[in-house]
Parts: sequence; structure tokens; C-alpha cells
Amino acid sequence: MKILIIEDEKELVKSMAQYLRQESYVCEIAYTAHEANEKVFLFEYDCILLDINLPDGNGLKILEKLKDNNKTDGVIIITAKNSLDDKVRGLNLGADDYLAKPFFLPELVARVSAVIRRKRFDGNTKITFQEITVDLLGKTVHAHDQAVDLTRKEYDLLVFLIANKNRVVSKNAIAEHLSGDDAELLDKFDFIYTHIKNLKKKLSEAGAIDYIQTVYGLGYKFTA
Amino acid sequence: MRLLQVSLRSLLLYSLVLVIISIPVSLYSIREILNEEVDESLTLNSQQFLEHLKNFEYLDDLETDLHVLDQLSYNIHIKPTAATIQKNSFETVIQYDSIEHEERPFRQLSSNVIVKGKPYLLTISMSLVDNDDLITAIGIVQIILIVLLTGGLLFINRSLSKKLWTPFYKTISRLKAYELDKNEAFEVEKTNIIEFDDLNTAIGNLTERNRKVFLHQKEFIENASHELQTPLAIFQSKLDVLMQSSALSESSAETIAELEATAQRMSRLNKNLLLLSKIDNEQFIEKEDVDLQATTLDVIAKIRDIADTNQLSMINSIEAGRTLANKTLIEVLITNLLHNAVRHTSVGGSIHVMVKDKTFEVANSGKPLSDPERIFERFRKDSANSESTGLGLAIVKKICDLCSYEQHYEYKADLHVFSVKFWP
Repeated sequence: MKILIIEDEKELVKSMAQYLRQESYVCEIAYTAHEANEKVFLFEYDCILLDINLPDGNGLKILEKLKDNNKTDGVIIITAKNSLDDKVRGLNLGADDYLAKPFFLPELVARVSAVIRRKRFDGNTKITFQEITVDLLGKTVHAHDQAVDLTRKEYDLLVFLIANKNRVVSKNAIAEHLSGDDAELLDKFDFIYTHIKNLKKKLSEAGAIDYIQTVYGLGYKFTA
Repeated sequence: MRLLQVSLRSLLLYSLVLVIISIPVSLYSIREILNEEVDESLTLNSQQFLEHLKNFEYLDDLETDLHVLDQLSYNIHIKPTAATIQKNSFETVIQYDSIEHEERPFRQLSSNVIVKGKPYLLTISMSLVDNDDLITAIGIVQIILIVLLTGGLLFINRSLSKKLWTPFYKTISRLKAYELDKNEAFEVEKTNIIEFDDLNTAIGNLTERNRKVFLHQKEFIENASHELQTPLAIFQSKLDVLMQSSALSESSAETIAELEATAQRMSRLNKNLLLLSKIDNEQFIEKEDVDLQATTLDVIAKIRDIADTNQLSMINSIEAGRTLANKTLIEVLITNLLHNAVRHTSVGGSIHVMVKDKTFEVANSGKPLSDPERIFERFRKDSANSESTGLGLAIVKKICDLCSYEQHYEYKADLHVFSVKFWP
């Protein structure tokens, strides 16, 4: 799956590309609006990560052109300006999602995989990891065809972990993903631990193998 | 005391002293002038009288005639005398006035004269104005003068202070109403009075300079916060990449987790600073009809999990209420107050949320504060809780100031009670 990163901060691009490549994504990079315009019209991408503030232009212009040319690439806007106006304008212009800097890379991966799923597998709303199947439309989870009854938070947690499978995901990233701005109130260890514990219990009761590894001091890793 | 009152006071005091001094001075001088006049006419009378006597040659028995004259006349008396030296002397005497039946002052000229070779003492007197009458008359005149003077000065003063000082008071009231953060220039009016125009220009320049500095500072905070987002994003992304390294020891994993928590705190701080400066820069001006009940219930739903984890009991009494306001600001306000309550309630405590009559109130159990007056200040925080950015309540205050909401904090019955009254 091909991803284009349009971003002028080289160090940030480096980390993003490195992280995404681990998940078998193919990353191409454009540091300027000029480069981006060339690439966007030459190739098809599954997802474009678009920074609004580029040294030689506004990223929203690129988005406008894309949509004018009926391109169907998924677009996630990335911006340092966490302003409601930009968000509304970007989404109105046809962006699929919006992410404000600074962000967790696991969060980026979760968003990217959600966008790609929506774009690529029309009709197929299921993701599968070994014996676990998640129906994103019905928001239900099955293990060995047996239904697993999860709370909203546990479901979100599972989808997040599967999107970031084989990678260490920190407790902070999980807390931010589950609670947004309210995460600052959390005593992360207790809160996350409770949800992880319940999720593990429910999955193993349904006969699934325990794929959630604890990485001491850091977080968790969902791996087969 | 007003400026004009000070000058009026001096003026009044000076004229009062002048008027009081003028009473004896005028009394004395009038008296002197009168005496002189009277003396002159007495001398004239006496000369005329002697002149007449000289012409009365046909009188045989002069002595008898003069005696009769002495008895009949009221103000001319002539008596034989032994003294032979000729002299004139003036004096003021008090005599009984048989016509007016009272003691009156008289001016009297006594002179030794020779009539037909015999010496006589000639006394001519003339009634004077009564001293008391004179003092009374002068006193009345001066009192009228004082009244007119004071009244006139007060009147002039009042109309002056109304007219002359109007531009000054206008400037003062505009200065009092001026708020630097309201993003308005200080307007000055032309007055035609050099001093006031100078003052207005000086104030205008001063406020304009301050306003510019203030605007620059506001802009700076917003720009700085924006610029910090990218390095923070880089920092965070590097940590996420580093975390994937398989060769991490337990202690380095822990260090990474700590770094990440710190990065998050920085980014939260930055977000809140940005929010503060955005509120300052009036970027939340669109207003709509906000459902206070629904908004509050939404926020409560979001933090419910967290409250449950901390075993906080939440007691809610949310009545219907609507207000015309910016939805984002109302959400931020309610969220920050609830976050504050959750953060500062220890495990097992309780939080009471109430919405009633357009008033939002949240109370949480806890120990009293050492410095409750400063609770809404920036970076004022309870040292035990380092996770807090110290900006939540400052943002609440900023929103209340911007929207003119009444915000209140008190500690009663072991509860910290925060309330905000919305309008309209």
C-alpha cells in the first residue's frame, strides 16, 4: 500500500516513514508543494498525509486540485495549527481525516489504516487477526466465530492494537486514543491496565490466544 | 477636592479679608472727611456770625442782647469770658438732642472773640452722623458685597467647571473605560484648549504604544505556541520509533516512558497556551444557541469512566437551560471546571454538578486551599499534582472575562464550589 507524505520537516518525515514502513507500507516523500503537485498527478496513492503549512504554498490548495481532478486518494491533513477553521475547511474540501501536531505515531497508523480500509475495501468492513475477527460496521468482535462482548472502550482498544500490531504502543498513546483530551486526568497505569485486563480476559474466555504482551514500563505489544 | 475649588477657596479667602479690613478703614476715612467738612462749615458759620454782629450797631445793650441770643439759639452760644487770648479749638462732644430725645455726637467750635471791645467765648456746634448708624450702613453694604462676591464666584466657578473642564472630564471617563485588551484605539477629541489637546495627544500616543506592544505580545504567544508544535511532534515521533527497538533494557524503557509523559505535558501546556491566546485574540466570536443541559451531560459522559476509575461519586442535577454563546468556549469552560474537580478530588470523594437558571455549578470534596484568592491565576497549582498544566482555571477565567460571565469560588461544607452564571 502506497503512502505519500507531504511534509517539510525532514526529521518528522523520517520518523513517520520509518514507522510506517515497518507495517509494510510503501512511503514516498514530498518536502515541498511543488514536489507534491508533481507526484500527486503522476501516481496513485492509497493515502496522502498532507501538511497544511508548506514553505512554498498551502496544502489545502493541493487538496483542492486533487478533488477537482476527481482523484480518490485518501487524505489525512496534518497541521501544527490546531484551528477549527482549518479542520472544517479541510474536511469540507474532501479530506478523510485530520490530525493535529504533535501526535503519536500509533495514532497516525490507526488513522491511516482506517482511511485505507474505507477507500480500498469497499463493502469489506472486517479486519482479521488470526482467529479474531472485527466487524467495523457492526462494531462486533468474534473469536473462533464466537461473539466477544466488549465495552466501547475495549473495542476501541482492540482495533487500535490490531492496527499497530507487532509494535510497542505506549500507555500514553493508548490513553490519548481512548480518552482524547480527557487523557490528562487519567492515572494511566490503573486506567489502561483495567481495560487491557478485561480485554485479555474476554478474548481468552472466547478461546482466543493471548496476543497482548506487556512491555515493562512502556506499554503493550499486540503480536502473534 | 477639585482644582477649581482650591483656587476658589483662595479667592474667597482673599476677598473676605479685604472686605473685613475695608470696614474700619472706610469708617475711619469717612469720619475724617465728614469732620473736615463740618469743621469748615463751623468756621464759616462763626465768621458769618461775627460779621453779622459787627453790623448790629443799633443794639444798645449788647450784653443783654447777646445773653438773649445765647438763650434762644440752639447751636450758637456766646458767653462773656475772662480770657483775652484769641484762639479756635474743635472738638467732638456728646450732647442730649432734645428733638430726637437721644444722645448724639456734635462737632463743636469754641473760639474767643472780641465783640465791641469785650471778650466773649463763642461756641458753635453742629450735629454729626451717629457712629453706630455709620457702622451699620457700612456693614450692610459690605455684607451685601460679600454675599454678591461669594455667590458670583461660586456661580462662575460652577459654570466654568461645567464648560471649561468638560473635555478634561470626558478624557478621564474615557480613560477609565479604556481596556487595553479590548483591541480598540483610544480616540481623542479636538478641544481648542492647548493644555487639553496636549493631554489628549499624550494619552492617545501612550495608549496606542501600549496597544501595539500588547498586540505584538499576543501575536508572539500564538506564533510561539504554533512553532513549538512541530518540534514537539518530532520529539514524540522519535520516541515512538525508539520504543520499537528490540534491544531496550527495562530501565531505558522506563526512561522512554518518562520522556513521553513529559513530552505530553509540554504539548498539553502548549495547547492550553494556544487556546488562551486564541481566546485573547477573539477567535471564538460566532455565537449560537447552546443547550447547557446537553453540553454538560456530554462532558460528564466523557469523564464518567475516569471518575469511576478513581471511585468518585458523581451527583448530578442538570436542569434545562440555553444561552447564546460560542459553543466551543462553553464546552471548554465546562470541561475545564469538571477536569479541575476530577483532578483535585481524592479517591472515594464526591463531585456535585448542577445546572440551574443558566448557572453551572460544580462542587468537589477536598481540603481548603491556602490561597483561594489566587485560584484563577495562571500556573497556580497544587504542587502535589504535577500532571496539571496550571492553565485550566485561567482559561475559565479568561472565558468568563470575555463573555462577562460571573464566576465565583467558595469553600463551604468541605466542598470547593465553582459557579459560573451565563447570560444572555
